[in-house]
Amino acid sequence: MMTLTFATLAVSSFFLWWRKAQWGWVAVLAALMLGLVIFNGDVDFSQNLGIQL
Amino acid sequence: MTRPTLSPEIARVLNFVGIMALVGVLLGAYIYQFSYRELPCTLCLLQRLAMFAVAFGAAMNLMLGPDPRHYGVCLVSAMFGLGISIRQTLLHINPYFDGHTGQPTLEATANPAFGQAVMGLNLYVWGIVIFATVILATGIVLLFRGQFEPAKQEPQWLSRLAAIGVGALFVMATLETVTVFMECGLGDCPNDGSWNWWIFR
Repeated sequence: MMTLTFATLAVSSFFLWWRKAQWGWVAVLAALMLGLVIFNGDVDFSQNLGIQL
Repeated sequence: MTRPTLSPEIARVLNFVGIMALVGVLLGAYIYQFSYRELPCTLCLLQRLAMFAVAFGAAMNLMLGPDPRHYGVCLVSAMFGLGISIRQTLLHINPYFDGHTGQPTLEATANPAFGQAVMGLNLYVWGIVIFATVILATGIVLLFRGQFEPAKQEPQWLSRLAAIGVGALFVMATLETVTVFMECGLGDCPNDGSWNWWIFR
């Protein structure tokens, strides 16, 4: 999953450099959404928020 | 009275400076992981992802010309990164917390910081500083409307600058993709900071 997010950014930046592609922002938002899914899996919300008050 | 203005050319140069600063930070973190032999954790990689995304927004400004949508990419990405950095800082803010039992202890070493500090701050605390700076800088640059006016013919040096900036981002993103694949494969990444590459298991 993490590899996929970085690969998305690498491919988008390649097309931005090569073809001045204008769709890169959609790919970046998709990568961030994927990052959010990874973050959600990393934090066990059912147990705690990882914050000690 | 003349209005303070920011030409599209100057805005693009500022975006170039931002890209190079972020690529520098990412390169520093990349070198750090090899020199200290510490693989980045999931949250660390998500912060790097956010930095790449911020730099990508700036790269779009540099390559295609300043646009509110590109600055929006920077802001959304910086907010994402800020959230992750704050989360990781809060995880390690209390040394008297045993992460295994979830109970407070009398040992100040029960919950050590993740990784080595750089200039007194851990990398995730630097993350808060960097993402907050990005949000502030983007907000200030957005105050100037002159940059969104149609640009005249693009000078040659600006095209070269754009190719260098976006090329540097592409090279760094490719390097990161390769090492993330070697570390995590296509599954979850290790979270213990060990030198335990997926590809060598």
